[in-house]
Amino acid sequence: MIVALALVTSTAFADKKGSKPKPAPTAGGGAGAGSGTAKGGGDAGGEIEMDSDSGAKGSASAGAGAGSGSAVDSGEIQMDEDQNKPGDLAADLNANDQATAVVKTGEVKKTPISWKDIIVVIRKPFLKVRRTELNPFVATTMNDNMIRHETIGGEFAYWLTDVLAIGVEGQYFVHTFEEPYDLIARQARRLPTVNQYNWSTALDFHYVPVYGKFAVLDHKLITWESYFTAGIGVGQSEVVPRDKAFPGFTNLLIQPNIGVNMRFFLAKWLTINLGIRDYLFIDKYEPTNRSTMSNASASDAQAHADSAFVNNIMFQIGLSFWLPTSFEYTTFR
Amino acid sequence: MTKMKPTLLMFVGAALVGALGTDALADTATTSASQTGGRRQNDLAQQVAVRHRRLLVKNRFEVTPLFESSIGADYQHTVGGGLKLEYHLGDMFSIGVIGVGSTSLHTGVVDKVLATLPDTPSDTSKDPSKTQFLDHLNSIPLHGAAYISITPWYGKLAAFSSAFVAFDFYFQAGVSFAQLKSDCPMSVCNDTHPGTSLPGQNDMSIPPDNDPKNDPPLNDGNRVGLYLGGGIHVFLSDFLALDMTVRDYAFSDNPSGADYNADQFVGTSATLGDDNRFLHHLFFGAGLSIMLPTTVKRTP
Repeated sequence: MIVALALVTSTAFADKKGSKPKPAPTAGGGAGAGSGTAKGGGDAGGEIEMDSDSGAKGSASAGAGAGSGSAVDSGEIQMDEDQNKPGDLAADLNANDQATAVVKTGEVKKTPISWKDIIVVIRKPFLKVRRTELNPFVATTMNDNMIRHETIGGEFAYWLTDVLAIGVEGQYFVHTFEEPYDLIARQARRLPTVNQYNWSTALDFHYVPVYGKFAVLDHKLITWESYFTAGIGVGQSEVVPRDKAFPGFTNLLIQPNIGVNMRFFLAKWLTINLGIRDYLFIDKYEPTNRSTMSNASASDAQAHADSAFVNNIMFQIGLSFWLPTSFEYTTFR
Repeated sequence: MTKMKPTLLMFVGAALVGALGTDALADTATTSASQTGGRRQNDLAQQVAVRHRRLLVKNRFEVTPLFESSIGADYQHTVGGGLKLEYHLGDMFSIGVIGVGSTSLHTGVVDKVLATLPDTPSDTSKDPSKTQFLDHLNSIPLHGAAYISITPWYGKLAAFSSAFVAFDFYFQAGVSFAQLKSDCPMSVCNDTHPGTSLPGQNDMSIPPDNDPKNDPPLNDGNRVGLYLGGGIHVFLSDFLALDMTVRDYAFSDNPSGADYNADQFVGTSATLGDDNRFLHHLFFGAGLSIMLPTTVKRTP
């Protein structure tokens, strides 16, 4: 906690660009903060009121935490217990930002520095490696103007590395008809041929090439990532008979899928996911020449069904719960 | 007792923060402790999220040549190109206009229906002919909007751990306009009094034919409606950005030009039985934004 306070001071009260570094506090023998780009955090310690009995320690730790001087033990460059609280992602983010302002003590080496030399993207605030993701989600059709499918589903994914995961998903579909389904029937006097989808399941692979952070209203920082998904699965579609006097039939579909998603990190064990998935398959539709004399039975109709390639593009949104609920970094900041 | 309250509040606040991980709640807890405890607190919480930030949009003029395509259109896809002009009043608010010229392509629904329609239906048939069906459809050769925009989110991302680029999300709202076009010749749309009777000879009237297939589609002209949009800038440099937006132009329309309300004729608000209704027209747009001036300033 004291280390965190020291880190706060070195970040929160950085001077204006060009100002000279001020002498570091000497209490406790800390190496002091405030050189180079941190621009003088040394006078910041007075801005935070500390308990008298912890003041000395605080100063000492401030110095230690602020640099890599002689007073620093390498083992101290670790998060303290507060930062390791399960689920306290926001606090960890703050500490991470503060740590980026910590600089080495000693003689300042003045070199021309470009803003392009400073990488602002922080250490990944959320680790996924060897964790299991439980992702319940809902989804809706994006590209069918006759029938709208809505699904409720879920996925179990295991993250082999921090950017690669393998998962199993399942979805249950419900449907409603869109306006053109009725209009075509009334205006063009043609009954649309449509299939409904009943369920699907797939084996998926996820790859994360993009991660970053953004500020909301210039105040709150939120981290996020974008990832691609590819998979293979099966599903079932069912013919919606144009004439209810004739039975429909079902089709078992082989369904590769591809997708792109975004994930927003809310806590160390909770994220919000949203994305677009394209399920590709060849579906079989009710033949157009169906009557009591032709293709009346389901088996006959299925044998003479018309095939078509389908892109079923769906928008998905859901929550992910992560197990174990916390993680530990294996490297220093 | 008075000293217990802040302690309890801090404990509850910390527990909530731990559970939810939201710094909004952290702010609340800190504020409570500050107010009730009377202790000075670290003012980092009051600071901006990012210092020395490049002001990539503030007080800059944005010129964006763009491509736009409709999403999920019923009868005609609308595909075209246009220009977006936007001035960023500050870091967060901007005003702008967009105009897009487009051409139309049949959707799969139209192709499938056309394949089954007769060229010349019998007089007693209620099926439209291919020509009647096609000539009633309208297109959107020109559309656009004037809007205000808010950019509440900005950030930076790393792609493949090597490319670091800035981005922002924005949301827009305003007024949309659209020029609708349909061209049904008199040889097809020859009903001169859809839905109404005409005075005839000997005090007899000519009743409506109750056949909407030969009624004028009445789905052309100019429309004004609402506009909503949301998108993202991905900055390729200080003055170039990839601009991707989903836009909703909502206005009164009857895309099929046919009888919608089942009153056996096609009407508008100027006549009886208006078949136009307020519809959403979703588009996806992608463009390259040029920010002027080309140099950027930084926050303190």
